[in-house]
Amino acid sequence: MIAPSNFRAARWPLITSFVFALQAFAATPPVAPLTDGEMAATYQERREAFIAGYIDRTDPTNLERGGLHDVAVNLARGTNLEWARARLRALCESPRGAMFWMFPMVLVMEAGEENLTADDWSVIREAWKTYFPYRGDTENHWLMYYASLYLAAEVWPDLPGSEWYNGKSSVENRAEAKEYLLESIRITTAYGRGEYDSPNYIDPYVSALTLLVGWSQDEELRLQAEMMLEIDLADFAVENIGGVYGGAHSRIYPKHAIQPALAASTSLAWLLWGQGEMQLNGSALIVALSGYTPPAILQRIATDRSKSYVHRELKRTRWRMRHAGPESIEMANHRTIPVYKYSYMTPDYMVGSTQGGLLQPIQQQTWSLNWHEEKPLGIASTFFALHPYYSALEGTMYFGADWDTVVDLIARSKVDYNSPDKLMSGSPHEQVFQHKATVIGLYDIPPGTTFPNLNTFFSRDLINRTEDPSGWIFAQGGSTYIAYRPFVAGEWRPTDWTGLLAGGAGAWISSGHAEWGAGHQVYVSESPTNGYVAQFAAEHEFESFDAFMAAVKALPLEFKLEPTAHVKFTTLDGTELEGTYGETPHIGGQPIAYDTWPLYEGPFMNGNRGENVLELQHGHETRRFDFNSTQISTTVTPTAR
Amino acid sequence: MKRFATLFATASLALGLTAEPAAVLFTAAAFTKAQRNSSIPTDAGIFVRLPDAGWVPYGPKIQQVASASVDPSDSSRIFLACGNGIVRSTDSGKTWRMVTGWRESDITAIVIDPTDGQRIYASSGWGLIRSFDGGDSWTSIDTGLTEKFSRTIVMDDANPSRLLAGTAGGLFVTTNHGDTWAQVKGVPSAHVLRLRRGIDQPNVWLAVTEGQGAWLSTDDGASWRLTAPDVASANLYACAVDPHDANNLAVGGWDVGVVTSNDGGATWQNRAAGLPSPNVLTLVYDPHHAGRVWAASFEEGIVFSDDAGATWQDGGLDGSLTNDLGFLPLEPIAR
Repeated sequence: MIAPSNFRAARWPLITSFVFALQAFAATPPVAPLTDGEMAATYQERREAFIAGYIDRTDPTNLERGGLHDVAVNLARGTNLEWARARLRALCESPRGAMFWMFPMVLVMEAGEENLTADDWSVIREAWKTYFPYRGDTENHWLMYYASLYLAAEVWPDLPGSEWYNGKSSVENRAEAKEYLLESIRITTAYGRGEYDSPNYIDPYVSALTLLVGWSQDEELRLQAEMMLEIDLADFAVENIGGVYGGAHSRIYPKHAIQPALAASTSLAWLLWGQGEMQLNGSALIVALSGYTPPAILQRIATDRSKSYVHRELKRTRWRMRHAGPESIEMANHRTIPVYKYSYMTPDYMVGSTQGGLLQPIQQQTWSLNWHEEKPLGIASTFFALHPYYSALEGTMYFGADWDTVVDLIARSKVDYNSPDKLMSGSPHEQVFQHKATVIGLYDIPPGTTFPNLNTFFSRDLINRTEDPSGWIFAQGGSTYIAYRPFVAGEWRPTDWTGLLAGGAGAWISSGHAEWGAGHQVYVSESPTNGYVAQFAAEHEFESFDAFMAAVKALPLEFKLEPTAHVKFTTLDGTELEGTYGETPHIGGQPIAYDTWPLYEGPFMNGNRGENVLELQHGHETRRFDFNSTQISTTVTPTAR
Repeated sequence: MKRFATLFATASLALGLTAEPAAVLFTAAAFTKAQRNSSIPTDAGIFVRLPDAGWVPYGPKIQQVASASVDPSDSSRIFLACGNGIVRSTDSGKTWRMVTGWRESDITAIVIDPTDGQRIYASSGWGLIRSFDGGDSWTSIDTGLTEKFSRTIVMDDANPSRLLAGTAGGLFVTTNHGDTWAQVKGVPSAHVLRLRRGIDQPNVWLAVTEGQGAWLSTDDGASWRLTAPDVASANLYACAVDPHDANNLAVGGWDVGVVTSNDGGATWQNRAAGLPSPNVLTLVYDPHHAGRVWAASFEEGIVFSDDAGATWQDGGLDGSLTNDLGFLPLEPIAR
């Protein structure tokens, strides 16, 4: 047996410079009265409760059930050790899942180190020697793969290639992994994430980065990972409405699209910021076990909805293998196109969008509204529309499979991919733009396109749904008023009109459907050219729902569908929006300036494209991340007299 | 070690001239048919077909493997084209090492200079790469390509500085070891999915495309003409040239099965009858059996024919998606 390294480097102090002015502590944010220390203390309470929850769910009499996360937490706390060792052996006997085996295995090795016996280490070592995991086909796969490989190669720092599945020595594996991880961070902090803002796939990013933060012995890598982790969390915080990751998403599953609080992000929001209710989740467990304590500014940003604000972000598509298009740009020998994100945050709701098009394979959510719920679990607190599209063009754009097999192979795991009632999709025939509380979608769907319909989701939790003779459909979700004007009338169907979502399609798609998926409706509109206006408002802005409806119906609206979709609409705030499908939309008479879209721009988070420098702001505090020099600096400015 | 001119030279020698391992039928495959509610095939990797044991796994079990190659001048040097990169053995498959880094991935095919085993070229989903040190280090060689995605590359064994690569933007040729590439005139700017060449008659090249037909050259690539016109509009994933008689040609694709020619492409016969599926992904002529052609369909198994496709016999491996099918001198070693 090769023993693990006994070396555990003393944690390097965070290179953080604090510039305190004399009156700094007087700058208590108005809507987050807890002090930093109080926030940290309540975080520790939640952390302990979370860990206890994981241990409580362990059934030590059942040797057939329990994953590596469960093994890790029990080893970390010295509980159910006999069970943990048995499960460890079972899960190392014939490993599968590639990086989904690797990263929780590293958690076992790091968090569970104190209770791992020499025999346990032999089992683990043999697995790393013989199991050849696939590196994957997404950036979250690669991040998990390389973060795990890096840390494993730190545990055994001097092994020759013959002791690793890939034939590379520990030194070589660490060098390759570190180079990739730093390059990934560099691209992300300059041009945005490829798998951006996913309520579910925030999980692997947080998992991988937190493993590095918690256990990497390499100072530079650990600090870069910590900075990246905080930026990813801040990215969520600024588009967080009551713990729900709102707006537009690169990847989302049906259950998360319908009931957003079921996503991994909401579990993180509870652990990190005390929002919503506790839900056990793998990445949150890694955070809890890592020893990482988030800076208080993240909680303040996540929970401060005292004022409405616009937040813009630049992201990018996943790497495009083929059909990248003339607008694509190349970086790191891969092609991508920019994604322009726009979110409008209010105390009552948030609505966010991207520009439309094929921005992600399979699971894109181009825009959505999420209204605030104090306890969002069990509530379908969302409203959105989409063109359900699938094609070999999209599949081969992002995957290496053949034209004739790619759709079939995608649908082996994402079984709703080629279903007309699916609830997430990008479309090359869709154009979306937004101004604050107004979203406009325009569509030009060529004959033969799968599918010809637009799906607009109406939650079972909406009240006051009203179909007005004017063509507007009104509804209310929580304290948010919704007005939706489809350009072509449609029909009401159950959300799951093909039965796919409810029936036997696997854990990600159908499990628990009766709870989260039943009772909703979709407004299905079919037309080659189509569009809609969606106008939102807070309940308190109007005397009554009737007053809201009257105000919306009085708004100037012109649209036509020939030769293509065109709209001119004046919003509740008096701004004229005008768009023609295929052309740059105008807001207030000005074309949207996509060319100068910032990496981050808003009251809480800012950064310029290509600079690798980002700033968080709240109240008088500024937290600056300079990825070029691997430094975080926090500045608290004096309170104005 | 004596150097040989063709990929199949070692196989020929194995038939009696030396102690080199015999070339055996191999496939790079993923078992996708039984894959349900999962993105992971039930099995995958390289498989070789042994006369007395049928198909057996070869080398490391890796989820995504597109092809394999053996150094024509040293059959102990084996290269696997994988999603992870390139995995190499220098001891006839006893041990393996991933020789590429994070910059290289989704490798689709590998060719090795028969005159200098240190010179290795590979196609990938992200472009073409080469190594001049036996695979220890790799550099990108995309200059001149209009599209980087490539799943087929073939070396001119008589002139190893010349290679042809099929890309998503058409067929490209280099005459300077990949320093620069130029588009091959006469072949449309469509996705070239497979490229094969005659062995005994190396002037014969056959390229098939995604929806733009099969293209034949009988003058070593100087000129190309559309062939197999009846399947020209199909997505053609497979083609093969009989190594010993380049008059025997085969083309396969989606929803068209297999068409064969025994007169150098002058006429073609539809050989779909008897195939387990009309969706054919890979084809190869058997260097050990004159006229035998092997065909692999999408998830419906591998078949072979000894009568130019008039009838087909079961070759096993039901449920697999084959990325490549060929003959290499691989001695199976238990995983």
